[in-house]
Amino acid sequence: MSSIQAAVRQAPVWVPPLVVLVVMLVVIESLRPGSLAMSRLAIEASEAMTLILIATGQTIVVLRGGIDLSLGGTLSLATAIAATRADVSFGELLPWLFVIIALGALIGALNGALVSALQLQPFVVTLATWSIVSGFALIILPINKASVPAAWFEAGNAKVLGFLPVPILLLFLLLLWWAWFRRTRLAYRIRAAGSDERGAFLNRVSLTRTNVVSYGLAGCLAAGGGFFFSTQTGSGSPVVGSQFILPSIAAVVIGGTNLAGGRGGVTGTVIGALILNLIGDLIFLIGLSSYWQQVASGIILIGVVLLAPLLRMASEPSGGDG
Amino acid sequence: MIRPLRARRRTPGATLLSYIGLIALFALISVFSPGFADPNHITTLLIVAAFTGIAAIGQTWVIIGGGIDLSVPWTLNCAAVMLTALARGQDGMLVWIIPLILLGGVLVGVVNGVGIAILRVSPIVMTLSTNIVLQGLLFIATKGFPPPPTPRAVVWLATGRMGPIPVILVLWALLAVTVVLIERRTSFGRYLYAVGTSPTVATFSGVPTARTTIATYAVSGAGAALAGILLDGYARQSYLGMGDPYLFTTIAAVAIGGASILGGSGSYLGTIAGALILTELTGLLPILKLESGYLSVIYGVVILLTVALAAPTTQRLIARLLARPDAASAIVSD
Amino acid sequence: MRDSPLLQAESITKRFGGIVALQDMHFAAAAGEVHAILGENGAGKSTFIGILAGALRADEGHIVLRGEPYAPHSPVDAAAAGIATVLQELSLIPDLTVAENLWFGSEERTRLRTVDRRRIEARTRALFAGLGLPAIDPGALLRSLGVGQRQLVEIAKALSGDADILILDEATSALVPGQVDWLLRAARTRADAGKLVLYISHRLAEVRRVADRVAVLRNGETVGTQATASLTDDQIVSMMLGRRLVSLYPERVATATQTVALSVTGLTVAPRLRDVDLELHEGEILGVAGLEGHGQRELFLGLFGAIRAQGQVSVRGQRVTIRSPRHAMSAGIGMALLPEDRRHQGLLLTKSVRENLVLSALGRVARLGVINPRAEAAIVTQAIERTRIKTDTPEQPAGTLSGGNQQKVVLAKLLATGARLLLFYDPTRGVDVGTKAELFALMRELAASGYAILFYSTDLAELANVADRTIVLSYGSVSTVLAGADITEDRILAATMAGGSGAERGSAA
Repeated sequence: MSSIQAAVRQAPVWVPPLVVLVVMLVVIESLRPGSLAMSRLAIEASEAMTLILIATGQTIVVLRGGIDLSLGGTLSLATAIAATRADVSFGELLPWLFVIIALGALIGALNGALVSALQLQPFVVTLATWSIVSGFALIILPINKASVPAAWFEAGNAKVLGFLPVPILLLFLLLLWWAWFRRTRLAYRIRAAGSDERGAFLNRVSLTRTNVVSYGLAGCLAAGGGFFFSTQTGSGSPVVGSQFILPSIAAVVIGGTNLAGGRGGVTGTVIGALILNLIGDLIFLIGLSSYWQQVASGIILIGVVLLAPLLRMASEPSGGDG
Repeated sequence: MIRPLRARRRTPGATLLSYIGLIALFALISVFSPGFADPNHITTLLIVAAFTGIAAIGQTWVIIGGGIDLSVPWTLNCAAVMLTALARGQDGMLVWIIPLILLGGVLVGVVNGVGIAILRVSPIVMTLSTNIVLQGLLFIATKGFPPPPTPRAVVWLATGRMGPIPVILVLWALLAVTVVLIERRTSFGRYLYAVGTSPTVATFSGVPTARTTIATYAVSGAGAALAGILLDGYARQSYLGMGDPYLFTTIAAVAIGGASILGGSGSYLGTIAGALILTELTGLLPILKLESGYLSVIYGVVILLTVALAAPTTQRLIARLLARPDAASAIVSD
Repeated sequence: MRDSPLLQAESITKRFGGIVALQDMHFAAAAGEVHAILGENGAGKSTFIGILAGALRADEGHIVLRGEPYAPHSPVDAAAAGIATVLQELSLIPDLTVAENLWFGSEERTRLRTVDRRRIEARTRALFAGLGLPAIDPGALLRSLGVGQRQLVEIAKALSGDADILILDEATSALVPGQVDWLLRAARTRADAGKLVLYISHRLAEVRRVADRVAVLRNGETVGTQATASLTDDQIVSMMLGRRLVSLYPERVATATQTVALSVTGLTVAPRLRDVDLELHEGEILGVAGLEGHGQRELFLGLFGAIRAQGQVSVRGQRVTIRSPRHAMSAGIGMALLPEDRRHQGLLLTKSVRENLVLSALGRVARLGVINPRAEAAIVTQAIERTRIKTDTPEQPAGTLSGGNQQKVVLAKLLATGARLLLFYDPTRGVDVGTKAELFALMRELAASGYAILFYSTDLAELANVADRTIVLSYGSVSTVLAGADITEDRILAATMAGGSGAERGSAA
């Protein structure tokens, strides 16, 4: 086995998308010098961060072997709650943030419990809970309103320590958190359950607990993403989550995480989300109509999924059963 | 871990249950809202349900076959916009435009099917990608310009009547009969259920697995296209975004109709009931004086109840409660 | 060191539907010994091990461990009771690394409460070194390892704890001779340290090298337990085989013709099947024997078109390249496979018997795609009669039938296609005695009508009594061909058990 094969085999799944991202950044920078300046990056991060947050939640659920369609609803609900706190001062930002995230956790835990207790398929369960949660979002906030408390809007667009934009800080914190979390026993149990439920059970993993925790975490992240969105835009929307849910799945897949569970991670998802967001810039700079963005996203998604098994096959020892 | 399988008494089919639910719901609503049972109102309900119903033909088969079709929204939208754009408000060319568009739907389905059955891409990723790409292509093609209004013949299809009966219902009924007959009486129907139950067994039994899968997605594409054409008629125009609600409604209709999302069971008959239940539920809003957000909540609860009832765990619980020893079907697991 | 029994099982009975897997079985083993359990497939070894490992629950009887009652509800209980197992189906997680798998649940943690990668990898290397195993990269993903290496990791995992009882169930099935030597030495070391090692294997040679005592199971009962040294191979074999019901097998009739139905040259499915030649005649039942994992599966699936194979295949003189099972079953070729796993490859368990029976022959009951109910009913009736399927109604779900009847449904399904070239893969596994007899009689009937049958069985008596000729596969090639009076169980057993010693390439033409 050549050393190249060995290197490819051991490489983390997010290396190919990283290569794509770097190439994209290089092209963008060459077409529009100055794209990599902090101010521009801050804007990119801000635009991408909502997707990054919800896609991170999706990653964890997918690692567990499931899928969560309700995250979009949780996100919408979070923005709806934020946009209806009209006369709230800055001081109450944190408590409300806590409430929103706790709500997300609760919704997620419910998803996990339903999936485990009744042995139901995650797709259908989360489709139903999506409907319920986005219904509540509509009830709380029937139409889009730019009514997020001004103090929160300012906080969201502030620069920490005078120069670091909140989104960049958040991204940094998220990656830091993931670098720690992925090495915890909990994360190993989640991945084990996603990889092989029977094997995990024999190794004393609680299948129920890993479900509740995975979906619960995802709910927290989606809720946090919604809160972030509302502080960035100053508005709430009962339907905004629908724009993010399918891209969240796309970001997970492009980032190299296996939809079947067990393999992958948030690093790849972050890269995938950035790729999705940068496609728009790239299309614009190349000179194509912005409508090509969608087409490009779809092609990249398919391309990644088709290429990944080919890459793996090239590096697996012959006869190594899957 | 093996537990022996005892003989099962046939518990009421999921399809039958969904019709019971349909009628019960109807009765309940009529009690509170007498106008609900008015023949005109029923006709309106049926017409509204027809769009989901027709779009869900393919979704039903795709789900029975073990997959899912997330490309319904933009296949529908592309068909709708292409129809108005090509026909330019005239009836004349419809004779070849409509078949062409249906063929386009088939083509989308074949692309999906080939990706899934032969390239082994997961249905979620494959149909999601086609959905995204179609959306992009449509945006590019229309460049934001509003398309011409719908030709009158198509409007007639969606809103006209043959005597007392709306044309669209005749169309739906014909399609429904054909679909159910195919499910029950043809080789294709058997192949479909076999592939959905166990692709491995199907392959080992000589079933043309790939071809069957591709065919189901082709039908789904055609169904979405047809629904798009009909929606053009109903709305008298096409617009971007008209397909978006149909992702949820088609999947929900199939799920409420009793089909397992894993495949191998269910029937279009159930989907019809599911589509009707979804439409009926809108009738609850004025009674309970609720806003539209509540409809969404109700939809979700109904779906949860349906799948929870069908879950093996619940079935066993019910059987034990009813103390019917032979219905306590201990399923063999390993 | 022989003390009072560490582990004792009394009157264990276990049934699966209509089949009795264990019947009033007794067992006793002491600490400080390697205790082998021998028996043919279906003798009850796996069932007994399953009960000990907590995966199954006995219907009757009780087990005493260290003087206390032992009745585990799950494998977790068994592990807690100090029992470590290496079963045929591995319990490793494919997407975790070797180190992560080995130390799952008992990982070292850093101050940040994360799993200490370096520590567990160091412990892995230490474990492998301490066990005398060649190093496997601790950071390698399990799914990147071959089957043999995975088995080694599973064994290492079982050895890593300090379990009082170590169960090795066919633990050498994927190992090469050097690794087998290692395992036998490791087992011996364990026993000498006062532990109990239960060694289940088909391979007499290995058993002889490592086991102090041997318990032989047959038909769900313990036939005898004796010191290994006090038994000859012949004695062991005859304990395993016992006296057979003569009426189980049909009369030997010479039905083989000279017409070649299937001719195979150089059939290869890397890496397990290499360059196999064989010739199957109309009217002949050609047996295939061999240890698990020596190419039989690849042979059958490769012929049937279910997996890709190299080589040349001719059916009735015509060169064919079989692209898929559907192609194999088509009228031009007429080949059908009775698969290994009837529940997951042969039958749609939730669908009716009727639907299953006609599934492969829909072309014959449908015109222009539309099924003719009467034609269907005719085929169903004919199928049920021909193979004597016992069912209340053809509408009952196939999953509710007994194992034997399920097998008959699969067989009838194949026959309904008109295929005359039949591949039977271990058709009598999990099938009751009565149905077995019926199946054998049916096989001979079919052969007499000119069908050609390729017949793989893990039960050597079957091969000896039913097959006209038998080829023995070893390490993917044909090592021996036995015919006529040469096919006795002992000869087949000896040839398969010897497995690996100088497998000559030969052809069975």
